[in-house]
Amino acid sequence: MTILPILKSAVLATVLLASTAVIASAKDVTISVWSGGSGPNDNYRVDAIEIAADILEREAAIRGEQLNIIVQKTPYNGWDDFKQALTLAAEAKKAPNIVATGHEDIGPWAQSGLIVPVENYLDLDSWPLNDIYPNLMEISSFNGTVYGIPQDAESRPMFFWKPYMKAIGYTDADIEALPAKVEKGEYTLKNVLEDAKKMQDKGLVQAGYGFYPRNSNGPDFWQFYTSFGGVMEEEGKLVFDKAAMQRTYQYFADLVKAGVTKKNHIGLPGDQWWKEVATGKAGIWHGGTWHYARLVNQEGLKDFFGNVQFTLIPAGEGGKANTLTHPLVYLLTSGHTEEETQIAADLVKIASEPRINALHAIKSAHLGISPSETKVDLYSSDRWASEATERLLPHANAMPNNADFGKYWTIMWKNLEATWTGAKTADTAVKDAETELKSTLGASIVIR
Amino acid sequence: MRTSRTLGMVMIAPAAIMIFLFYLMPVVLTAIFAMTNMSTATGISGGAWQVTASAVNRLKTTLPELANGIAEPRFVIDEDGLKELEALKLKPGFATELRAQHIGGVYPSRREAERDIKALKDRPNTREVKQISDIFNRSVLNTRFESRDALMTSLDKLGFKLTPEQQQIVSDATYTGWVWTSENFSTIANSPDMLQILINTGIYVAVTLTLFNVTYALFLAVTTHYMPSNTASVFRAIWLLPRITPVVIYILLWKWMTWDNGFISLFLAQFGVPPKNYLLDSAYNAWFFVILINGFIGASMGMLVFSSAIKAIPQTQFHASEVDGASRWQQIRYIILPQLRWPILFVTCYQTLSLLASFQEIHLSTRGGPGKSTEVWSLAAFHTALNNYTGNLEYGLGAAMALVLVVVGLVLSLIYLRVFRYDTLISKPLIED
Repeated sequence: MTILPILKSAVLATVLLASTAVIASAKDVTISVWSGGSGPNDNYRVDAIEIAADILEREAAIRGEQLNIIVQKTPYNGWDDFKQALTLAAEAKKAPNIVATGHEDIGPWAQSGLIVPVENYLDLDSWPLNDIYPNLMEISSFNGTVYGIPQDAESRPMFFWKPYMKAIGYTDADIEALPAKVEKGEYTLKNVLEDAKKMQDKGLVQAGYGFYPRNSNGPDFWQFYTSFGGVMEEEGKLVFDKAAMQRTYQYFADLVKAGVTKKNHIGLPGDQWWKEVATGKAGIWHGGTWHYARLVNQEGLKDFFGNVQFTLIPAGEGGKANTLTHPLVYLLTSGHTEEETQIAADLVKIASEPRINALHAIKSAHLGISPSETKVDLYSSDRWASEATERLLPHANAMPNNADFGKYWTIMWKNLEATWTGAKTADTAVKDAETELKSTLGASIVIR
Repeated sequence: MRTSRTLGMVMIAPAAIMIFLFYLMPVVLTAIFAMTNMSTATGISGGAWQVTASAVNRLKTTLPELANGIAEPRFVIDEDGLKELEALKLKPGFATELRAQHIGGVYPSRREAERDIKALKDRPNTREVKQISDIFNRSVLNTRFESRDALMTSLDKLGFKLTPEQQQIVSDATYTGWVWTSENFSTIANSPDMLQILINTGIYVAVTLTLFNVTYALFLAVTTHYMPSNTASVFRAIWLLPRITPVVIYILLWKWMTWDNGFISLFLAQFGVPPKNYLLDSAYNAWFFVILINGFIGASMGMLVFSSAIKAIPQTQFHASEVDGASRWQQIRYIILPQLRWPILFVTCYQTLSLLASFQEIHLSTRGGPGKSTEVWSLAAFHTALNNYTGNLEYGLGAAMALVLVVVGLVLSLIYLRVFRYDTLISKPLIED
């Protein structure tokens, strides 16, 4: 009678012990991944790491190791709060293992020791890393060291609402030929202003809707500086081209003066902006390749190609037609064990494989990171991805990876905004920017 | 005596610690941060020494020989390295094969060195490849040294004998962390934008304070004073609503009212007025709403203080004045206002400081826009130090801006004490002497 319960508990204890032994031999690793600027279409920025974790676990199992990876995903919708959260978390030694952010963060974050180079953990000669476009790898480097793995690519076109273009006298053939004309520099920013004005004069769009730029600060505005002949960096030194910046500032002042762009356009609620460009309230606007996904998926613009033409950002005086690519990169943060960081690096590598990366590229209408990705069915059968890759990517510039670029950007933007709203003239704005650049950046920037 | 003093110290200790931690430390830390160039790029916790391409550029003018010597990465398979590799106790084949095949090999980049290491017959995995290539690294380029001495020792090993002065130059050029500086204050003093923000702040504080926090509050207090007490309570409760509504919701209501598709636009559309964003349409519009939002929230406090101060005035004074045939206005002018000097001083002083430091309403409504037209000092400090689109957080400059605010607050308080003749307010009444 008494033997049985004792036996029972003994068996139970053995089973329990055995089970803990199994658990102890299994390795539990928690990998956290954060991404910035990630809306509802960008979930694969963090989900790709989860898919990679599954594959890495299986690979470990085949080698006879038990690896259990728990992926903690934190996508942030915007940029301001994301960068604040990440920087402060890192200072408090609580940074996530992997972070997907804009490549321009590499400079300052590498200098402050917040991130570690991926080349310390990954063999860059191995597939799929050796297949990634070399210019994207270049953008992921700082001081000759590869810090990040490109997570996506994109470019930023000028969009035209076709029905209005027709209404002001363009034929279907003209509209079809527009991208080539822009590329050759025959259709310029001056024409954009004129056509926007025509659309308004004809009553097709309301005042201030002829040319409808981005409603907030963004890398986009450097494209106009390039269009007017400006250069952002030369031989590792930032460059402030006064004449080109003056023309850029003046252009936005002219747009407002002509009434085709609103004086108070900046700070407009984002949702309103999206709804308006999707429903033909705006005549000409600029945006990014990923806008396609939002316009079609969330904003209900079903016949995109029937309504919208897209081109490079046209040339201005003294410059050439261009576009900007602002790739996001996966970065590894410091302050974790070597083992964790190695696993994080392996996950990033797997997540960069063509099929997995294509999920993000197509869902969010970004561009692929490697030639083989463009051959994945999902990618090659997507009209937007293939046309945008072909028309835009060869002409894409990128912002420089420079620890001081953020300061330059802040000053450049502040003065553009001041010219736009009429608080300063273009000349004063350039002069103020020059003064501030000299005092904050000194010898790190070439002013000419 | 002594024990009671010790006991007193013990009793006051918790409060003293709290005051030190939560009242003094923030100001002291702000002052310390303000004297540095701390930013995202320098980090807060200190830096390292790293010979980057830009550091080499900086050294080119002062120490050209050294700069040229360390400008290129260099990996050398040598006997020292092989011994170190053997000591690591990885597979013995690695060292043997490297010694046999590659001894004396010099590589201009890590990648090229690693190509040979990877091709070893024992197939090192990626982690081992990185370990091995680290051992043969014979340059300091891009290596992060946690201490100055470690960098100097490495340079010494590479054959660069530096004098202490030269070491200092190298150290300054390669240090990645923050340094002490007073530049933040000259930046603030010389920037035209800072001046504009200062003017914005002046307008914001002065207008909100005089129109709403004092005048409007006074108006509410006086009018409710002349109402039957139940009605007065109802009105006071209503005027308090903006203060007790969570600020995020309160401002969302304003946004709903002023957006393109908001209440004002929809209402005016009935009369053929095209919709527009009333909140951000122009700098004037933005200021109008910013001051209104802050004013309605701020007025409630003045109202409460003034109401209770009016209640404290002996009723007999009102009765006597009515016997003398005084009008309401005369009562206000000769009875209420003179006795409200103290509360008015208090409200002015307190609200000036809180308006100077508060930015959440502006941050939530206009975010300082359109343009930077409603950017006030505290919001600009927040944007500079903690929250901006480019992620370039300049802690040092932001702290310096915050410190300026502390000084401005103190100076204004002193001025108020003068203007309201604080000394006469605290002197004993002559009649009771």
